[in-house]
Amino acid sequence: MNTEFDAEWCLNMARLEGDGEIGAGTVAADPIFDGELIEQRQQDEPVVAFGRFVRLMRRRRNMDVEKLANTADIDIEELVSIEEDPHFRPEVRTVYQLSMFFDIPRESLLQIAGLTKPKDNRIYQEAVRFAARSEPVAALTPEERVALETFVAVLNEKK
Amino acid sequence: MSITKSPKVLLNVEWQAGEAAELWDAITDQQLADWEALWQPALREALQRLHREKVPLERWPQSRHWDWRRKAASIRGLLANPAFSVMCGGVTQGMMILDTTRRRCRIESQKGKNLVYVEYIENAPWNREQLFKPSRYKGVGTMLIRAAIETSVAEGFKGRLGLHSLPQSNDFYANTCRMTDMGSDARYQDLHYFEMTSEQSEEFIARGARS
Repeated sequence: MNTEFDAEWCLNMARLEGDGEIGAGTVAADPIFDGELIEQRQQDEPVVAFGRFVRLMRRRRNMDVEKLANTADIDIEELVSIEEDPHFRPEVRTVYQLSMFFDIPRESLLQIAGLTKPKDNRIYQEAVRFAARSEPVAALTPEERVALETFVAVLNEKK
Repeated sequence: MSITKSPKVLLNVEWQAGEAAELWDAITDQQLADWEALWQPALREALQRLHREKVPLERWPQSRHWDWRRKAASIRGLLANPAFSVMCGGVTQGMMILDTTRRRCRIESQKGKNLVYVEYIENAPWNREQLFKPSRYKGVGTMLIRAAIETSVAEGFKGRLGLHSLPQSNDFYANTCRMTDMGSDARYQDLHYFEMTSEQSEEFIARGARS
């Protein structure tokens, strides 16, 4: 690759740059949302429900991790971490992509992902109950399906 | 992995003159250490000031939650994701990660053709007028976009580029880079999608040569 453009070119373009920002990239965006972000130091508590929820929603669609990552346009390594590591905190943008793909209100999903402070204590309690009822096994059992659908219904409830 | 370090120049705002810089075709542990030890504290300092001055959240830097260490780790060794950094005064001044395989052009005249997509690009906090006045260096953005164009040419994509701009950067991509603004993209948090044709990339390069 040719990186041999000269100093004069760099300086000329630098003078044209003005005072504007240059940041770009979809993952970079910091979406505006209603919830209050949880401080980094408060994010140590494990969030079991979110990873389980993503895994079951994925399996309900008969998708493997790679297919979901490609379809929802999220980083495959981040998706693996979400499903496998209850201490992992996803990017806000990733939760947005998942909320659009699964058609779940993003504020609810941000809460169970541990990124925003719970405004609705019932969602938190249902998340704990869901985590307890949804042991990961090879196939989606009728019980898991019921647990998942019950939780989806709660997340979709209008306040 | 061997790293190419090309001698370049940035505009030192205080001196109003050029200062020797380097364009690296990689993001290494050195850049990530700078990000952690220098960029992050500077960004925190700037955010505290914005908070004290009660600047509305929508005017805070959009990229304040970026985690370059995680991004760099996720693409390490992937040929489809070339990365670049700009060094000056022994410190990292800007970083960029590209994608050369996953995206296609949207402009009608080149629709479906390959392009280089700018996954992430960011300036050091002290180079951003929004955070520090006066800023320290200018020229990081145009140098990195030139590197993206050259990558596109090397891939056989004739200088075609695409990116989703953060709201505060729309002016840079529309007026400095003169890319085509394709409007807000509902799939990507309504960020504006910008695309550069091969003709626009030639014009971008020529502008620097004749200014």
